[in-house]
Amino acid sequence: MVALRMRRAAVALGALVVLYGIAAELGRGRLPDRIWMGSHYVDNIQLLPTWRSLAEEGAFLLESDILASSVAVSTRRVLAGLLLGSLVGILLGLATGWAWRLEALADPWVTFFRFTPALALLPLFVTWFGYGELSKVLLIASSVAVVTLLGAHHGVRTVPRAYIDAATSLGAGRSLLFRRVVLPFALPHIFASVRVATGLAWVTIVVAELIDAKMPSLGYLLALSGAYPRVPTMLIALATVGALVLAFDLVLLLIHARSTRWMRRTA
Amino acid sequence: MTAPLLEAQGVGYTYPGTTPTRALEGLNLAVNDGEFLALLGPVGCGKTTLLRMFAGFLRPTQGTVRCAGATIDGPGWQKGYVLQEESIFPWMTVRENLEFGLLAKGADPAARRAASDELIRLIGLSAFEGTYPKELSAGMSKMVEVARVLATDPSILLLDEPFGALDSQTRARLQDALSRLWEQRRKTVLFVTHDAEEALYLADRIVVLTQRPGRIKAQFAVQIPRPRSFETRFSPEFVALKRQVLEATAA
Repeated sequence: MVALRMRRAAVALGALVVLYGIAAELGRGRLPDRIWMGSHYVDNIQLLPTWRSLAEEGAFLLESDILASSVAVSTRRVLAGLLLGSLVGILLGLATGWAWRLEALADPWVTFFRFTPALALLPLFVTWFGYGELSKVLLIASSVAVVTLLGAHHGVRTVPRAYIDAATSLGAGRSLLFRRVVLPFALPHIFASVRVATGLAWVTIVVAELIDAKMPSLGYLLALSGAYPRVPTMLIALATVGALVLAFDLVLLLIHARSTRWMRRTA
Repeated sequence: MTAPLLEAQGVGYTYPGTTPTRALEGLNLAVNDGEFLALLGPVGCGKTTLLRMFAGFLRPTQGTVRCAGATIDGPGWQKGYVLQEESIFPWMTVRENLEFGLLAKGADPAARRAASDELIRLIGLSAFEGTYPKELSAGMSKMVEVARVLATDPSILLLDEPFGALDSQTRARLQDALSRLWEQRRKTVLFVTHDAEEALYLADRIVVLTQRPGRIKAQFAVQIPRPRSFETRFSPEFVALKRQVLEATAA
């Protein structure tokens, strides 16, 4: 299952590489190299940089250590936010799913924050938590927590009545029922929500790194390349974020496959 | 025979809703200790409702249900209940499923292992003890569910159309297995089914229910010697009784 998905992903990425290369070569010399930026013209712009110029830019970013250190810094922030947010979100989701009294209390809050974009929280978090790491990590954690809360809550809520009845009539108390029936059933739902949250965490970090924007960080690298503007740098930064999302997703997929070997697989 | 082990007295049940449904009305039933009683009736006659009352998941809206003289006030391991729906835990291996009741009772691992060993032998699934239910056939899964409730050695078995969703060949095989199981470990069994032949083959007594709201329509004592076998199904007494039962259900 995982191997098949990886093969398909490789084919899809390969196709993208080839198609982009063709488009860039076709566009070379045909696309304008001068654009109006609203107040002034910018010259020597490559709207669709060729693979050659991307490779040169990539080599520069690697040799100068900008890329590697940016990846390290941003990945650390995403991981911290993801861990903190998942922990809080999953625990709250399990609690609200399991104890129906809590659900009524939590429901309006969840709905409220679910549709509040991270960007809208940014000024508040900066004011509360300052310009340092804390507000960046908390911003990621808050968007992750909402999604994982919903996943865990849904997982607990959809345990079929038959499993609960069977376990209860076999003599299981609340604690055993939760640990051996509700939790294993909810686990695949929780994993699915963590996967969604991981993507969201990478979306959020790009925004979060605009707070006190400093090198090295992928968010600032993107912002900076937009200010010049330098399309090769933008594309490399974007591709790096994309590759990191894919890598995170792959790790989660592997853990998920291992922890749910019991499930019936379709396809 | 002393006092009945399971007893329903004047039991009625109405499902609430915009059009309340009367599932059962004024039903009296007594299941004696050690008896295999089959409850036979059409779909929707309240058989499952009655069984869920005995299992402790529903309280009658009229009358009382009692177990060993005491009013039933909730589920528990003393009443081994096998649901109509699939309820084998798919995230546990066959062995873990079988040991769940003992785990709930706080038995130590050695005792759990011994009990599950015996049950695995009893249902002939030695090759599957470590597999997850996704690899079992529907018939095997159902047999694990029946064996699972036996682990804690309950005095009562409540079986809700356990073989209802299976093909006739598998069903016949599992009926044999259940019959052997019952001969080895005598329990009081209340077996819900809509299949007259299944009821005759397994039970000591058959109670036929009417359409909703369910009441008792007829009763038959099945005095066919055990162990019963394939031949039993074609013996004159079996066939004659089957005719009577089918006439009673059709009337």
